[in-house]
Amino acid sequence: MLGEFEYLLITTAARLGDNAYGAAIREGIEEIAQRKCSIGALYTTIERLEGKGLITTWMGEATAERGGRAKRMVRVTGKGTRAAKEFYEVMMRVSSGASWAVRRAERLS
Amino acid sequence: MTSSWWSLVEFAARPLERDEREAVIGDSVEAGDSSWQALSGVLGFVLRRQLLLWKSWRPWLAAFGFAAPSTWLLMTVSLSVTCTSERLLGLNLGHWAPTGHEGIFMLLCHVFLLVAWSWTSGFAIGSLSPRTLWTSAALFLLLAQFLNHMYIVAAPVHSAVAGGFPSFFAIARLAPFLFVVPAFWGVSRGKREVRLRRGPALFLAATITILTAAAWFNNALWVLNWLLLCPAWFLVATARRSETGRATKVRQSERSSV
Repeated sequence: MLGEFEYLLITTAARLGDNAYGAAIREGIEEIAQRKCSIGALYTTIERLEGKGLITTWMGEATAERGGRAKRMVRVTGKGTRAAKEFYEVMMRVSSGASWAVRRAERLS
Repeated sequence: MTSSWWSLVEFAARPLERDEREAVIGDSVEAGDSSWQALSGVLGFVLRRQLLLWKSWRPWLAAFGFAAPSTWLLMTVSLSVTCTSERLLGLNLGHWAPTGHEGIFMLLCHVFLLVAWSWTSGFAIGSLSPRTLWTSAALFLLLAQFLNHMYIVAAPVHSAVAGGFPSFFAIARLAPFLFVVPAFWGVSRGKREVRLRRGPALFLAATITILTAAAWFNNALWVLNWLLLCPAWFLVATARRSETGRATKVRQSERSSV
């Protein structure tokens, strides 16, 4: 099963779609998770996920705002999508009945 | 970011591959990180990467299984080859001599074995774990320094002979390092993941083994020299059966260990 940070990364990359690359994923994670995301954690996780076949990466275009440096683009594979879905469903099942999940469900209803 | 800090970030990112360097530094620039944040981010990544690589058995085998013992043994063989050459040329520079009775044929056999052992050791080290080569290099430098002191500096060169021929004195200082060039050649080939095919790997290992046995039965080898066959047979064991496959596997293995 995926780790928490791996799930965050895959989900953020999937949400960004064709615009998923290092800096955008990092910004997305920091925004949603409200926590700092180091470059080291980001890239070692990208590399690990790619090793497991959950994402693919390739070098994209260079832009002026990056000082003329290329982006490392990320795409979630079918295997990655299934792994993220499995993680999500396990979290939902394990959370059902927990006080915070019940309160949230009540608020939403 | 000032140019000096920029250079420092670039320097810190040097252990990374070119594409990674581009992506990581580009991300820092795009995110508007301060120079200090960029530097600590890159250093953190490099450190994290190195630590995680050591979760695999590959760097351990490369550094402590091949690099360290090979450096020691090959320095001794280099010295032996030099001593035999000097003796056959009628020179005596007063090294500590590990062997001393070989003729020209055994010298040629030793020279071939020295090159082959060095190359296969280098290839095994370079292909096993390209990203942790610095550890093998550091071990090599440490051991080379220590053994050089033991073999050369602590063993006084005959000043009467060397005094008359300063160039011989310089050659004597290099005596234990004859293996360095073929070993670096092997490392560079292994690092580029130019893998041996099973046939040539088997031929090379068999040839080295036969010549090692020949030298052994002529009392021209030390018993531990047999260990220098390990890299050659390792290359046979890991040789590719087809044109593709292992290069990707090495990379994937390093990635999944990260």
